[in-house]
Amino acid sequence: MINVSGLTKRYGDRMAVDDLTFTVAAGRVTGFVGPNGAGKSTTMRMMVGLTPPDTGEVRYDGIRYTDLKHPARMVGAVLDARCMHPGRTARNHLRAMAAMSGIPVSRVEQVLADVGLESAVDQRAGGFSLGMRQRLALAGALLGDPQILLLDEPSNGLDPDGIRWLRNHLSTFADRGGTVFVSSHLIGELSLFADDLVVVGAGKLLAAETVEAINARQAVTVVVETPQPAELARVLATQEVTVEAAGDRLVIRGTTKAAVSQLAFEHGIRLIELSETAQSLEDSLLDMTGASAEFTSA
Amino acid sequence: MTTTSPTLPTPTTIPTIPWATSDRSALRSRRDDLKAIPAALKSEWIKLASLRANKMILAVTPLVGALIAWALASSATITRLTASELFIFPLPLVAMLATITGILMFTAEAQHGTLAGALTARPTRWVIVTAKAVMATTVGLVLGGTAMLSGFGGAMLGGADLGDESAVASRALWALLYIALAAMIGLGVGMIARHSAGAISGLLMWSFVIESLFAPALPDGVVHFLPFSAGYRLLDAGPHFEAPVTIANELARPQYALIFGGYALASLAIGTFLLYRRDAN
Repeated sequence: MINVSGLTKRYGDRMAVDDLTFTVAAGRVTGFVGPNGAGKSTTMRMMVGLTPPDTGEVRYDGIRYTDLKHPARMVGAVLDARCMHPGRTARNHLRAMAAMSGIPVSRVEQVLADVGLESAVDQRAGGFSLGMRQRLALAGALLGDPQILLLDEPSNGLDPDGIRWLRNHLSTFADRGGTVFVSSHLIGELSLFADDLVVVGAGKLLAAETVEAINARQAVTVVVETPQPAELARVLATQEVTVEAAGDRLVIRGTTKAAVSQLAFEHGIRLIELSETAQSLEDSLLDMTGASAEFTSA
Repeated sequence: MTTTSPTLPTPTTIPTIPWATSDRSALRSRRDDLKAIPAALKSEWIKLASLRANKMILAVTPLVGALIAWALASSATITRLTASELFIFPLPLVAMLATITGILMFTAEAQHGTLAGALTARPTRWVIVTAKAVMATTVGLVLGGTAMLSGFGGAMLGGADLGDESAVASRALWALLYIALAAMIGLGVGMIARHSAGAISGLLMWSFVIESLFAPALPDGVVHFLPFSAGYRLLDAGPHFEAPVTIANELARPQYALIFGGYALASLAIGTFLLYRRDAN
């Protein structure tokens, strides 16, 4: 389990992370989402001691990262897949990491096989594709057989097959009791395997809930086509819903199609078409973070 | 050329290490930090030995040593220097190679992002600094020793006599100290600058241009305290390649060692302070 409490980081006038507090549970995949500049990468760097926070702390099963005797055995981190010397081979890159953490060198071959790079062990990282670099970075995080994985945008550069592989890998890791904390811009992809979501915007916590809870709050829109729109609108005016008229169609928010169907039946109103659409998780999150986005498209 | 990605395996059975729960959540003590130094040294050695650039520097060093000593031996005119005196003359250039290696030991990591990986694995930053300082010193000693051996050979090939061997050991030991401290200065400057090109060009500019151009115009009392001028005095060689004699108004070699060593210590101390204060990358 990871406990983040009161994490704050300021760079000059800019508050990069503002009093962030949340918990990442064991045995689950927790997605970390937010727009560009929301403070995700800064938060993850503070979580592994690379950036000293101004205030607040992060504890792994009650222990601060810098107090761990063997950090790599508790936490495996992939913060930037480009972090490797281009002139060094994959094997030597991992050997150096293993040596620093006191991990047996035999582990290097194991993790390289696990990520499917055993045929590229003696190739220099400078010739790797971005996908291969991501896999090598993941291999580095797995060296110590950690209980917790922290990954910052791990699917960047991966093709669809690679993304599915990563998703299965992380799900399997969590199913074995591991803790996965992964940031991603691919909200739709994340929603396929994340159990919980932590949503940040402009450095502040916006939500920390299960995916089900966020899905349950998604706005539902009911579209009705009826030859009696005015009559139906009159009936709906007694309910706590919003109704917009569009010719013979009514667009209704705040209710379900089952409820609209029941009301129409009770008042003898004939319906030609009745459909219901739910706002996607991506749209929900974009609505949540929209006001705090630092860079937006026109 | 980008390599084609190998196929991905199905993550069915993931190898595990039977760490005990107490292994994972063990708390770090000061003794653990000291015990971590050998592991950090091993990691630094792997990083150093796995790069072609470092191997090339090691390969070039004996060539530099032999060539310079041979050239001086075969072209000396006023005073015929012996091999026992010439073998240290290549060292100012080799010291630059050692300094550059020291710089790159840190800046290459900072620029390629592997410093973050090292600090994630070992958050206690002084352990990393200690390992790098020891490795930089070792590199300096190896480069210096190699250059002196090849310098001896080059001087003999150039026709120099062996000369009085009684002072060779003393000269060699002071020269090794000079090279080792030069490598440590490089590491410290690299830790401060965090940029390979900036650190290397700045250091070369200072040593070959600023100190060389302005030192003759400065009073002896100031020149003694310029870093590379002080370091050069450890070599027991005159500034214009005259025969190694005691130059009037010079400080004693231990005093120059303290001055040069002071610069090495100061650059490492400032670099370490900045490593603690700055973000890792």
